[in-house]
Amino acid sequence: MRTRVKLLALLPGLVGGLTLAVLALGAPAGAFHTNFTGGCNDYWANTSPVMRATARNYAWVAAAEGYQWGGGCWNDNNRDDSPGDPPQNPYTRGEGPDCSGFTFKSWYERAETGDPWFRYHGWAQNTHGPYTAGDFKVGAGAANITVARANTMFMDAFASTNHIGMIYWANTAYNQDRIIEAKCEACGTGTWPRTYRGNPDYSGVRRLNWDS
Amino acid sequence: MKRAWRWPLAGFVLGGLVGATLLTVNIVGTGRAGAPPAASPTFGEILHTPPLLAARGEPLTLTFGVVCGMTKDEPGGVCSPSGSLYVRSAGESDFSPLALGPAPDGELSAAVPVTLTQGDGFDYYVEVDNGRGERATLPEGAANAPQHVWVVDGSANVDLEGPVAGAARAPERILARAAWGKGAGELGLDSGREQARIGPSAFDVAPDGSVVVLDQVNHRLAYFKGGRPSRRVQIDFAGGEGDLAIGRGGTVYVLDDGGSSSEPIVRALDPGGSLLAGAALAEPTADMLRVGPDGPVVHGYPSEQWFPTGSGRTALSPGRQVVLGRPDRATSVDTSVVVHASPEEARFALVDGERVEQSWFVRSSSRLGEVQMAEPFGTGLLVVLRLWNESRAQFRVLQLTPTGLASGFAVDRAEWAESASLSRFRLHGNKLYQLRSAPSGTTIAAFEIGGKIR
Repeated sequence: MRTRVKLLALLPGLVGGLTLAVLALGAPAGAFHTNFTGGCNDYWANTSPVMRATARNYAWVAAAEGYQWGGGCWNDNNRDDSPGDPPQNPYTRGEGPDCSGFTFKSWYERAETGDPWFRYHGWAQNTHGPYTAGDFKVGAGAANITVARANTMFMDAFASTNHIGMIYWANTAYNQDRIIEAKCEACGTGTWPRTYRGNPDYSGVRRLNWDS
Repeated sequence: MKRAWRWPLAGFVLGGLVGATLLTVNIVGTGRAGAPPAASPTFGEILHTPPLLAARGEPLTLTFGVVCGMTKDEPGGVCSPSGSLYVRSAGESDFSPLALGPAPDGELSAAVPVTLTQGDGFDYYVEVDNGRGERATLPEGAANAPQHVWVVDGSANVDLEGPVAGAARAPERILARAAWGKGAGELGLDSGREQARIGPSAFDVAPDGSVVVLDQVNHRLAYFKGGRPSRRVQIDFAGGEGDLAIGRGGTVYVLDDGGSSSEPIVRALDPGGSLLAGAALAEPTADMLRVGPDGPVVHGYPSEQWFPTGSGRTALSPGRQVVLGRPDRATSVDTSVVVHASPEEARFALVDGERVEQSWFVRSSSRLGEVQMAEPFGTGLLVVLRLWNESRAQFRVLQLTPTGLASGFAVDRAEWAESASLSRFRLHGNKLYQLRSAPSGTTIAAFEIGGKIR
């Protein structure tokens, strides 16, 4: 009986303490979900021009990782470490790039839009770059130009006003292109056969100055 | 009074500690798990487009890209791949190696001896070392399930004329119409800035005439009957896009690309939506799910082979799929369809094993886009392909007969939202169905096709 009284006295305090802890510490967890970007860094290094194949190797690391609107940081464990983040929210701090940030990093571009040369951005560097898909579509930035879709080759890109994906492997047997892209939250980042080449909603976009 | 507060106070402290501990493990623990780990080297991927169909005596060079990934998060990431191509003439048992040489842009290539395209076709596979001591073959089944090239003679040549934006034929019927949304009778749209605009991935027609739409954005199958929504069935769906095909008997097969949270899988569902089986796929990427004479088959990458996944309650393991992979898609017990297209020419064949029954080479003054569909029809094939230039695009429906093009018409592309890339059309009987999308929503349209049904 005495033990029961003690437990009954303990219970309101336990509930109160638990509630306070959740309110105090749980709100950031709810807002930031996995807080993946808490493990990201700001590593980058200017480099001499790289080959398209090198850029494709870089982009492939992000395949099977996540998608994060406005994001730019990922690892290479082949899973989305922050699945199900609410889309269109830059504060969810999840893993992965969005489509334009993925292109910016995979093309080794520099944040200075007038500088057309190359910069290595660590996978774990949480950076998006200055361009939207719509910017790429019109060839914005000194590093980028538009090209006819008919003349594109691997690691060129197709951009619409809302999306951009790079050519991973051109002209499959059914005459699609395998595109490497940060596609959507449920899709993540990866390679998909797509038909952007023949779709007038898209423009062909090329990064200049590749090493040959 | 002081003693009365002792136990509640102890509870409060204990609760606070428990809550803080749980949340710390949740936040920090997950943060650690999500932090970039040490790089784990993997082979990467061999990239290749199989030629599949060669004119007799045609010179062929096989080209392979090698993606070797990166072993460290730092500049560099280059590799020096090398490898061999293994070839054998049709009917032979042993493969002969040919060294792959360097090609532009870091690719590897080998010229195929012309004797192989002067014969009855040939098999091949490639083995590549990525320069880091890791090796892989393509197809993965190597000598047990090699790639094949059919040699064709006397193909029917079809030259398409007219502008890309000719008058498009209006559908005869609209079998389903739905606005975008999550409600009853609506179909999901996943869209926004800096991402793809994704609508329903695919559809098919059930034995009772119902149109079944893969509304993967809403994680459900949407049924339409008589032009109206009839029912919805919730399904498991992890990825962003997929495909759907309905087998004889009404079994619904759903390809789920898995997105970034799981592996691609084909699920078999009974007409009520209950799960019968789930087959993980042999390859990491797939774009088409079709039902053949022995059940569902999936077109996978990087091999571009068709893999059976198991019919009904049978789920074939990825390892089993690998050895059953084949480059042609069986449409009946003794007939398969083979497709190879480029911007300049689209080639089609109906084959029986290694024997070519009929073949067609289609060219156009406009650029050719993807082949959306190629199905046996009448005495030949019904083909849907894209014609395009930089400002316009249109689908062209072609009825191919042994002598060439019997009839054809243009169809609006109606692709405001993405679907599975090659699942906008289905053929049932003499009706061609199209998944169409616009800012207002999605429709399933039907076109009558002339000619006899095979």
